Amino acid sequence: MHTDAQRLEDGSLIEGDLCIVGAGAAGISMALEWVGQGRKVLLLEGGGFDPDPRMQDLYRGEVVGRPYFPLEAARLHYFGGTTNHWAGLCAPFDPIDFERRDWVPHSGWPIRRADLDPFYARAQRLLDLGPYEYGADHWGRQEGGRARLPLDAEVVWTKMWQFSAPTRFGRKYRDAIVNARDVHLYTHANVVEIEANEAVRAVTGLRVRTLDGKEHRVRARRYVLACCSIQNARLLLASNRQARNGLGNGHDLVGRYFMEHIEMPAGQLALATPQLGNVGLYRLDYGKTKASGELSLSAAAQHTHRVLNGTTSLQPLPASPDLRSTFQVLTPEVVDAFVRIERGDTTVLPILRKLGEDFRPLQPGERRFRLFSRQEQAPNPDSRVTLGAERDAMGMPRVRFDWRLTDLDKRSMRTFYEVLGREVGKQGVGRVQILDWLRDDDVTWPGFLSGGWHHMGTTRMHQDPTQGVVDANCRVHGLGNLYVAGASVYPTSGSANPTLTLVALTLRLADHLKAAAA
Amino acid sequence: MAMHRRLFLRIAALGAASTLSGAACATSTDDSPDLRALARPALLDVLGAEQVRAIGARYRAMVPAERDAAALRSAIHGRHPLLVRLLGVPRVAPAELVRRDFAEGRTVEVQGWVLSVTEARQCALYSLARA
Repeated sequence: MHTDAQRLEDGSLIEGDLCIVGAGAAGISMALEWVGQGRKVLLLEGGGFDPDPRMQDLYRGEVVGRPYFPLEAARLHYFGGTTNHWAGLCAPFDPIDFERRDWVPHSGWPIRRADLDPFYARAQRLLDLGPYEYGADHWGRQEGGRARLPLDAEVVWTKMWQFSAPTRFGRKYRDAIVNARDVHLYTHANVVEIEANEAVRAVTGLRVRTLDGKEHRVRARRYVLACCSIQNARLLLASNRQARNGLGNGHDLVGRYFMEHIEMPAGQLALATPQLGNVGLYRLDYGKTKASGELSLSAAAQHTHRVLNGTTSLQPLPASPDLRSTFQVLTPEVVDAFVRIERGDTTVLPILRKLGEDFRPLQPGERRFRLFSRQEQAPNPDSRVTLGAERDAMGMPRVRFDWRLTDLDKRSMRTFYEVLGREVGKQGVGRVQILDWLRDDDVTWPGFLSGGWHHMGTTRMHQDPTQGVVDANCRVHGLGNLYVAGASVYPTSGSANPTLTLVALTLRLADHLKAAAA
Repeated sequence: MAMHRRLFLRIAALGAASTLSGAACATSTDDSPDLRALARPALLDVLGAEQVRAIGARYRAMVPAERDAAALRSAIHGRHPLLVRLLGVPRVAPAELVRRDFAEGRTVEVQGWVLSVTEARQCALYSLARA
């Protein structure tokens, strides 16, 4: 069922068993799990079914740390959320990503990769991916055989990625949600406050506002925040009537540990012989390739060199000598073009064609490659989201966004290429060049420093309430009926794009909630 | 003991000759087949002449003690220049030296390229020959 909250009478009360706040990848995945379960599930979406500049403006905020793209462009505020423009790259986190590493402060999840494996397998289907199979051997046997570089997997291994269509959740699952009898979608329903009981031990309701000035109340037995990392933190921090520092923030952790993936051109690979250039496993022909590989340091090598996890893709050298980062290639204009082309706006085709020049697929026999890094960011309590002084059209405080990196981030990336260079030389594969910006020192970053438009952290998972906002079941510490879904619960960011893992975690949370409701 | 004494005498003699006719000795060394082989790094096929020359020049600037051909040659073979003249050079192909360097972690970064120390020196020799 679907209701536009703007059409409700002002002051309406909406009631259900479970209330999900946000209809992006996490919120829709959660809602789908309840179809046919006989419970009344409320799915609240701030936007409608189409993009609306007024809704995007609600995400505007102040960027005070390292330069970042406008926050209102980084996440989409309508049904389907940011899946309306995501690129579809998927890979599970590696087992080491879940472990406590003594060289990575604040690392370690309260769950293991094996705990998530069954949910990864289920998430694959929601994201229209292939089998839950990420072995290079498996994919190397496909399509008549796809060769890979002969490197020692004990040092450098080939991490596989699969590619979603990319699945636009808003389009694909709209009918399933709207036609479900037990899921009730409310669009234009912006949650502006979470209300708790007097003891601040449980959530009693939500205050919802619409752009036309109406205010409604929502009551449910359990609540799931699924609004993305920045907005989850913002909503908890802004819900500060009963708890001065915001809900779930008794230990000043909400909003902290914001993480991105550092995505930068960082090196070059020159192959020793043309014969080695037939490395089809690394080829990515966007929109056609089902899976492709990237090079990654083994867990043992990460341990030996005390570095973060990361991968590098092999890309053809661009015609221009300028090597551009993700932020330079995927500008807000380009990202917006993804949304507009989906809606049949062909005026953006020249923008997307130009983008294609940067992503020419590898050709057999190429000997020179651009090495493009995608690296985990070390958890950093000073990298954070707080509330600013300005308020948006709903009366909510806007965010103050302070993205910060540490020396470990840069040292890890440089070490990655040093180890890769030695391994590539040792195996007679070729030689690696590390770009200037990476060689300078461990502190400075170039002007083209870039993330991957991936937002993680801010409500991190930890069994100890003094070290995490949610527990291993994604329940907010201290609040009996408030849960968080999405990448905001990640204690560490891994090197893989966040979507597959956040959907898997959401399915795990859904199972937990079903068991609790039974 | 007798062998050590003979070796000492040959080194002393070679040292005297070197002092008396250094230029002649250098010329002779430059023309040696070993040196010509060393100055043709396999990296030429991978990176091209221009890049190899630039790497070589940079390496010589980074390691002043290995600025000339004799010093580079002796460094590659791990023998003092006098011993190279006295005993010759080990019969190991440059490719094998490069392989051993990578296997044993003897690498150096020149202009960002992660290279075996031997091939960096080879680049330096190449850059000298074409300077």
